[in-house]
This record gives sequence, structure tokens and C-alpha cells, in this order.
Amino acid sequence: MKSSAVRRTTTRAVLAAAVAAALALTGCARTEDDAAGDPSASASGDTGQVVATPGAGSGETCTVERFGGTRTDLATATVGFSQSEKEANPFRIAETASIRAEARSRGVELLTANAQSQFSKQISDVQDLIAKGADLLVIAPLNSDGWGPVLRAAAARKIPIVTVDRKINATPCEDYVSFIGSDFIEQGRRAADRMIEATGGKGEVAILLGAAGNNVTTERTKGFKDRIEAEAPGLRVVFEQTGEFVREKGQQVTEQLIQSNPDITGIYAENDEMGLGAVNALKGAGRKPGAVKIVTVDGTRNAVQGIVDGWISGVIESNPRFGPIAFDTLDAFTKGEEVAQDIVIQDSAYTDVNAKSGLGRAY
Amino acid sequence: MTEPAAPRRVPWDRARTPAFLQGYGVYAGVAVLLLANVLLTPHFLSAENFRTQAVQVAPVLVVALGMALAIGAEGVDLSVGSVMALSTSLLSLYLGYGPWIALIAAVVGGAAVGLANGSLIAFVGVQPIVATLALMVAGRGLALVLLPQLRDVRDPGMAALGSQDLLGVPHPVLIAAVLALAVGFTVRRTTFGRQLLAIGDSRPAARLAGLPVRRVLIVVYICSGVLAAIAGVLATARLQASDPTSLGTLMELSAITAVVVGGTPLSGGRIRIGGTVAGAVLIQLLTATLIKHDLPPSWTQIAQAVVIVLAVHAARERGKR
Amino acid sequence: MLSVTGLSKSFPGARALDGVDLAVRPAEVHALVGENGAGKSTLIKVLTGVYRPDEGEIVLEGRPVRFATPLEAQRAGISTIYQEVNLVPLMSVARNLFLGREPRGRLGLIDFRRMHQAADEALRALGLRVDVRRPLRSLGVGAQQMVALARAVAADARVVVMDEPTSSLEPREVRTLFEVIRTLKERGIAVIYVSHRLDELYEICDTVTVLRDGRRVHTGSLAELDRLRLVSLMLGREMGEVRGKGRAEFTGAHRTSGEPVLEAIDLTVRHSLRGVSLRLRPGEVVGLGGLLGSGRSETARAVAGALPADSGRVLVAGVPVRTGSTPAAIRAGISLLPEDRKAEGIVPGLSVRENIALAALPGLSRFGLVDDARIDRVVDTFVKRLRIKASSPHQRVGELSGGNQQKVLLARWLAMRPRVLLLDEPTRGIDVGAKAEVRGLIDELADEGLGVLLISSDMEELIGGSDRVVVLRDGAVVAELTGAEVTEERLLRAIAAQEGGGPDD
Repeated sequence: MKSSAVRRTTTRAVLAAAVAAALALTGCARTEDDAAGDPSASASGDTGQVVATPGAGSGETCTVERFGGTRTDLATATVGFSQSEKEANPFRIAETASIRAEARSRGVELLTANAQSQFSKQISDVQDLIAKGADLLVIAPLNSDGWGPVLRAAAARKIPIVTVDRKINATPCEDYVSFIGSDFIEQGRRAADRMIEATGGKGEVAILLGAAGNNVTTERTKGFKDRIEAEAPGLRVVFEQTGEFVREKGQQVTEQLIQSNPDITGIYAENDEMGLGAVNALKGAGRKPGAVKIVTVDGTRNAVQGIVDGWISGVIESNPRFGPIAFDTLDAFTKGEEVAQDIVIQDSAYTDVNAKSGLGRAY
Repeated sequence: MTEPAAPRRVPWDRARTPAFLQGYGVYAGVAVLLLANVLLTPHFLSAENFRTQAVQVAPVLVVALGMALAIGAEGVDLSVGSVMALSTSLLSLYLGYGPWIALIAAVVGGAAVGLANGSLIAFVGVQPIVATLALMVAGRGLALVLLPQLRDVRDPGMAALGSQDLLGVPHPVLIAAVLALAVGFTVRRTTFGRQLLAIGDSRPAARLAGLPVRRVLIVVYICSGVLAAIAGVLATARLQASDPTSLGTLMELSAITAVVVGGTPLSGGRIRIGGTVAGAVLIQLLTATLIKHDLPPSWTQIAQAVVIVLAVHAARERGKR
Repeated sequence: MLSVTGLSKSFPGARALDGVDLAVRPAEVHALVGENGAGKSTLIKVLTGVYRPDEGEIVLEGRPVRFATPLEAQRAGISTIYQEVNLVPLMSVARNLFLGREPRGRLGLIDFRRMHQAADEALRALGLRVDVRRPLRSLGVGAQQMVALARAVAADARVVVMDEPTSSLEPREVRTLFEVIRTLKERGIAVIYVSHRLDELYEICDTVTVLRDGRRVHTGSLAELDRLRLVSLMLGREMGEVRGKGRAEFTGAHRTSGEPVLEAIDLTVRHSLRGVSLRLRPGEVVGLGGLLGSGRSETARAVAGALPADSGRVLVAGVPVRTGSTPAAIRAGISLLPEDRKAEGIVPGLSVRENIALAALPGLSRFGLVDDARIDRVVDTFVKRLRIKASSPHQRVGELSGGNQQKVLLARWLAMRPRVLLLDEPTRGIDVGAKAEVRGLIDELADEGLGVLLISSDMEELIGGSDRVVVLRDGAVVAELTGAEVTEERLLRAIAAQEGGGPDD
């Protein structure tokens, strides 16, 4: 009755007020960076990824003939890019920036869309991109499932699709061309190698797990534990608690950890943010840099800076810069060359040796 | 036939046991957990450890104080977590003017959200749970518009707030303690506090008694917003970073849990500040115990659920009205 | 058709029905009347399966029945229409009509075409033409009431129970409703009609059963029962016995003097008050007489600002008071003891002390801080003066007896030094001793110069305590008794009188 109308106007009023507030608040804002003259305006040490598996050879491959399309010239094509999550974390920011930069340098026309972490929006984003005339698609999928209708629409128009950072459950070289991404298990193994090296293979380590029920968490954990078990019998995993990929939780859990296990040798954080939280906790407890060995995964600038400062022993990179490889793949594919269906990228790593020089590369 | 002073003597007596549990169960729970930890947890009896627990519980407690006011007025404030996020965004955005201006900006932001909540509830007549849910969504959105991603805080004043102490008491703990005393005093000793309890207990009666129901409700939600904003500042100072994407998520649940476990009935009309403090400490100790013994994280959630069920069971209304 | 014998139902502390008999024949409109607490609503709830009786039996069409749920009663053919329409406002008219028994097509899906057609026919039969696909809420209250009625009838009802169906209807809608009731009669359906409006009863009903204090006191043809007799049956005052009864606790005579302290002029509230005016002089107790639903409580609430008035003015000592605002009325010196003491009067969880100090709190504080010493003095004074019996001032008010709760409320208002006291059923639910005490207090307060408006369903109290009685019927003032006219007989006659002046303008 009347109440629902009232509620609707209320909602509208709240929205309007929020928009007005946002405008007003940013109008006269002055952050620390503004005050200091913004020293770190996203320096562009943009290095692309390196493919771990060679272009053709090991795995299954795909060609434009088998896919059923026609050869074209990438330079004259329009590429659509659908980003999954809002660009609120360094990984997504770097990923989108890399795609944009590569398109610009190749002179390819690029259409972009961001699904803001809503799967239904991503589906309609992709449909829009197709409708707007994208000849080729690069998709960073939010989910692995539910892509049926969109893929059928794309297949009907023979639009090649490359998915980056996450895979979709469909038939490669039929529904899509290739998947380009990291091997999270391998990241865990390499983190374990780094940890063994830093601790000398002896002592007790703790794991700050990512969010529960996430394949990144399970795979990074599995790779790490398997490798520790196989390579360093002297190193024991004594503590596994979730930090939910968030700095604050990483800090709180580490604070508890160093109270109950003051002799902990190393901490493996499954992303940089939790690792930085661990650093905060150790600082707060008055520990010296390097007293507890920290190994993290991602390769954000803050974490690499942590190596330079001596707090972090190693950062395994999960490279978000898919631009060059994605466009190389599309280029090769449209020219008629063979491309691999699964392209696993070679992630680099940062240690005390290369951290300072690598700081510009970090995202 | 003269009138007996307490006509329903028999049911009252039977209600004694749960009444005792409702009032003091939370303190008993804290004592049991402390004792168990002293016996079972290595390195538990150290000043460092108690400091850690106190510092971690401070933001939750500050939010819970505001929540206790809202619940005492027969309402609830679901927007507290988003207010923390908004507060950290504003703080970061205005830190260029120095920490005091930034602090004021954050608190004003919290007060504005509280004013919006209170106005919707008092004037438009929206249910508190709906009104504050709207602001919960809007507040988080606004925070992310203002500051889309995590930004480090390097201000020395904020660093001091987060990590230094006064006479051995860390700043966040000191602030939380002062606020707890202030809210407790407000509830017990001021006109506003008495009116708040009367409105929470029986709004029709309060209205007929000529109390300024709307004004009191609005002030309650402003208080809740300001306290949540202060909690946001404390959390930011500890983290040395503004992270509006994750700061304060699920904070409303922690705060409600602390208040309810502390013996404040959800039906309003009564506020137990001491119990709320103990409730927050209880949850913190519970989490700490499970983490320290490296039990699976799902256990923490189950344990919290058990505590809530016990508290609600003890707080069950006994033939009220 | 439906007969009930020896029905009893008790609740903790009260016997709501005590061996009640009721017999309703087909094609009969049976009026069920009684004042507050007479047991009408309990009887209806037993008939419709909401309550189960403790004793007695219900026989429907020759078979003894027992309903465990309202649904069972409905299936058996007893439908109910409540005061408030209880349908689903967002669903279409047709869906509401067939809720729970939608015509099904193949696959068990709702056959909308058949449903819309049937709904349209059912409503046409009641003289209502609406688009049955529209949501129910888009209809007026009267039309919604008709849909509820159509639903009741469409459910193959044998007996339709109507609980104050006209309380939120416009006169035109009442006419339509009556036509529908006549149609029902022609179809042989029995109607049990509950209402306080005597005019309506005499217009539509054939027989009447009067309940009082949970017992049946009369059953018979309504046409043979004159109004005065009906009213005295409801109120439980036999004409012979009322005369010459002494005034029990009240003195009833006060030195009234001077200009009116309260004047209400033409107070009008939709559906409840039609131009009510009254004056109150200092030191005077004015009674407000009338049946349940005549607008007594509404008058008091409108004066106290608790019920927003559509028009009319309130003056205190000649100064206008903003209507519709409780704080404004309180500031002007108007205090209301509400009828529902437990829900609207006391704050049960707070102590005696807090309850007494509640309204006067801002005056007992300094800079927003409560001045406990001053509160203690005020509380002490009133606890002594009103002889409030509590184990301590810190006892919770919810634990006190009704009489002491009422005294706490009185104390709350006296602490504000009011000029006008509006007392709505001040002695209801209070034991005998406390009743006398409260009555004595009312006298005392009037003697001190307060203007008192007294509402009471207790005839004796009303007549005994008032200097003057203003009689209300259907939300309008119909008589005023002064001086020697203040007798139970005159009051009954005034209440029962035929509609005289045309308020239906």
C-alpha cells in the first residue's frame, strides 16, 4: 500500500544522498599522497609473462581450421575484454592495465567491460561485447560454470575466445580456443622451495590459509605441503588458520600465533596481503626483521618492498600481466598457427637477490 | 484483603535460575575460558598475550557499545560494518590535512549514516532492520567509491594510535575503556539514557508519557554510527592501512553477539554495558583459544554459534507482557 | 443449524465463558451483544476453531462437531469476517477469493481462466463490479470487506460470523453490506452478527443473544426487546434496582467554579468521532457515558493528542493546544491514564521510581544528568501520598498488582502538576479494595481543583463519581446529564435512545 511507495522513495532518497555525498566528499579530499606530491604514481615497469609450456608440443593444440573460423589479421580486428571482479585489488588492476597497454601498443581496437563480481552481469557483458562487434574475446571468468549460452552465441559467429587466470568448464578448441593462467599448485611448491631455502629445512612453519572453499586456497596449500613433506622432513607444518586473504585477519591470526608459538620459524601466507598482516603483527610484537621467515604469493609492490626491508624472505609471483601472451596467442591463432589449449605461464619469484631491481616490475 | 507486593511469586521463583544465567553467565563463561587457557595453553599467562587480546577486542567492543544502545531501544544497527569501511575511506581521504581533521571527517561520516538510519526509523517508520540494512549496502558502496582499493597509512599520529601505549595500556584499549565507561554513564545517569530504556521497553507508553521518542531514536543511531566510525579509525590505525573492501565485514554479527551474550535482551528496555564488555571478551577469548590450539576454522564458527544459542536460551523472554 | 450448549472456557485467572447456550436457525441474522469482557470474542473464537472449549458441545446441522483449527471450522461451513480485513493485499482479488482452494487444471496448476470467471460471478452476485485481476489493495476498504464476504460465502458457508464488520465502513458501504446480508438470508445461510451499534442491530437482526460476564443473560426476538431493556441487559442494571442507590465511595459533589479548564470543540476523527464537544471546569468530575465503541476512549485520546484529530480544537484555560501532539498536550497540563494500562501506561521493565519520574524527567535533571536526590524526594512523596505498595521503589512495575500500577501512573502524572486528568477505565482489573482507594483519590484530586474526565464501564462508578455525564453514541454527543439527572436510569435511556438529531449529514 502506501508503505511500499514510501520505501521506494526512501530508497531513492538514500541513493541520491549517497551520490551527492560521494561527490561532496571527494571534492575537497586531500590524501597523504596528495599532500606529499604523489611519489608512486603507478610506475610502469610492465613486464609481460613468460610461457612455461612451449607454444606447441606437449599438450593439446588448436588451430583456426579446427576451430572452424577464418584467418584474419589481428591488427584490424576488434578485441573484447571482460573483467570479472571490480578493480579493487592490485591483481585485477594490473591485469586490466596489461590488456589495455598491449592492445594500445599493437594498435588493436579494444572494448572492455567489468562484471563487478556479478556473474549475471558478466554474461550480459560478454553478449554486449559480441553485439558491439568484437571479433575476438579475452575473458577473465568469474565462475567456471554457466557459460553455455554465451559460448553458443560466440561459436555461432565463430568468435575465438581466450580465457585468462581462471578456466571455464567447456570443450577447448570448440567452445573456446585457449586458457592462459598460472599453476597454483606449482606456486605452492615454489613457495615451499623458498621456505626450505630460507629456513634451512628445519623448524616449524605456520600457514595463513586463504578464504575457505576456494580452489586457489586448496591448490596453493596442497603444493606447499606436498613439497615440504617430500623435500624437507625437518620442517613441520604446525599451524593452519585462515586469514581470508585479508591483511587484518592475517595480522590478528599471526598475533595469536606468535603468542602461543613464540618459536615459530616460518610463515607461509597464501597471498601478499595476509603476509603483510603477519609483518604488522611481528613488528607490533617487537620482533626483528627476518627473525621469522615469511614467504608469500602474488608479487604486489608492497610485498616486494617487504623483501627489500628484510621482513619477507620470498614472494612467489602470480603474474597478472596477461596482455602480451593473450595477444600473442590470438595473433598466432588468427594467422593460422597452432596454439596450445592450456598455456601455463611461468611465474617469476622475488628474493632478497632480485627484490630491489624487481620492485619496478611488481604490481 | 491487602495487595501482595509480588503477586506472581511462584513463576518468579522458577525463573530465578535462567535469570541468574542471563545476568552472570557471561562472566562465568569468561572465567571458565581464562582458567582453561591458563591450564592448557602454553605461554598464555603473559602480559604480551593479554595485551594482544585486549587490542584485538577493542574495535569490536566499541562497535558493540553502539549496538547495545540500538538494541536497548528495541532496534538493531546492521550498518556498523559499513560505517567502519566508510570511516577508513574518509580517514585515508582526508589524512593530508593531518590526523585530527581526518578523524573528524571519519566521525562526521559515521554520524551522517546514523542520522540517515535514525531518520528512516523515527520519521518514515521503516523497521530498524530494513533501514540499517539499506545503509549497510549504501555505506559499503560509498566507501568503495571514495577509496576503491587498499591504501597504506603512513601518518605518524595514526601509527602511534595503533601501536603505542599510555602507562602500559595500548591506546585502542584505553579508548575502548573510556567509551565503555561513558556509554555506561549515559545509560545510567542521564535523562537520555532513562528515556532510551523506556522507549525500548514500551514505545506506546513512552509516547503517551510525552517522551521525545523520535529525537531519542535519532540520537541512538547517531551514537551507534559515531562509535562504529571510531572503531573504524582504531582498526585502521592498527592495520596501518585503509582497506574498505574488507574492513568491518560481518562486524554487525560480532557486535550483536557480544551484546546478546552479555545479557542485553533483544526485546529492548535493558542495556548491560558490563555484560557487553564481557560478551566481547568472551568471543575474543573463544576465537583466540581455538586459533592458538590450531583447531579448524569451522570450529570457531560452530563454537560461536553454540555460545549464541546458549545466550539466547538464557535470555528467553519469561512471560513478559 | 448451529447450536451450542453449556459452553465453558477458562483462561488462567478468568472464566471467559460459563455455560453459554446459543442456537442459530437457518436464514436468521442473530445479534450477539455484550460489553467488554462479556465473552463475545471468546465465543466466536470457539465457534471458529481458534480456541477449544473446556466444556460443552457444538452441534452443526445435527452433528456434534469439534474444531481443532480455523481451517477445520471453515471446511465444516463456518466462515468468519473480522473487523480488519485479513486477506493478502498484494494478490489479485480472484486469488484472494480462492486462496487455498484454487481451481486446478491438468498438472495441478491453477486454472486462472476458470478462477477469474468464477470470481467475477461471485462478486457480481454480491453487487460488486471490479476487475478481479487487480491486486486486492487497490480496492477500497469496503470493497475489500465485500471480497472477504464473497470469500466466506463462496466457501459454501452454512454459517457466517461477522465480528464488527461495519467499524471501518462508510455509510454507503454499510448499505451494500446489509443488502448482501439479506441475500445471504434468502439463501438460507445463518449469520451471527456482532456489533455495538444499536441502530444497525435493529435494522438487520432478527434475534439477539446478550452475554454478560461470560454468561448468557437473554435470548429472544430483537423486535420484541426495546432499546432501553437491551441496554440495561448489556450493562447489567435492572431498571427497578437502579433507583435510590447510594453513592458508594465517591462523594460525587464538588465545588466547581469559574471558567472551564478544558474545552474540546467539534473534535472529529474519521470512523470514530463526529464533532464531539465538551467542557471541564476546575474541581469537576465529568463522566463520559456510552456503550463500547461509542467513542469514549477516542475522545480522551484525541484531547490528549494521542489520536490525531481531523478537525476540532482543544483549549486549556482558554489557550489553544496543538492537537495530535502528546508533548504539546502534556505541556498544556493534560494527562491521560490510558485504557490499556499494561501496553500503553506502565513501562513494565523499569522500576516504580523510574516509572513515576518518566514524564517529569527533564524537569528533574540538570544539564541532561538525572538528579537522583530530587527524584527520590518526588517518588517518596507520591508513594506515601498515594499509598503505593511496592517492596521498594526499585521493584519492577511489571511485578506490581493492577491497583498499584494504576497508582504509579497517577503519580507519574501528578508529578507533572497537571490541570486536567483524563481517566480511561481507571479501576478496570483492580481488586475491590484498591478500587475504593483509586476512587477516593479521584475525589481528592478534584477537590484540589483538577478537572477530571472519567470513563468507566462500571455504571455505579460513573454515576457515583461524576458531577455531570456526557453521553456518547456512535462517536457523537447525544445527551448531557447534570445535577439531579445523573442517575443510572437517565443514563440508560440516553444510551438507548433512538437516533434523534441527524448526525448522518
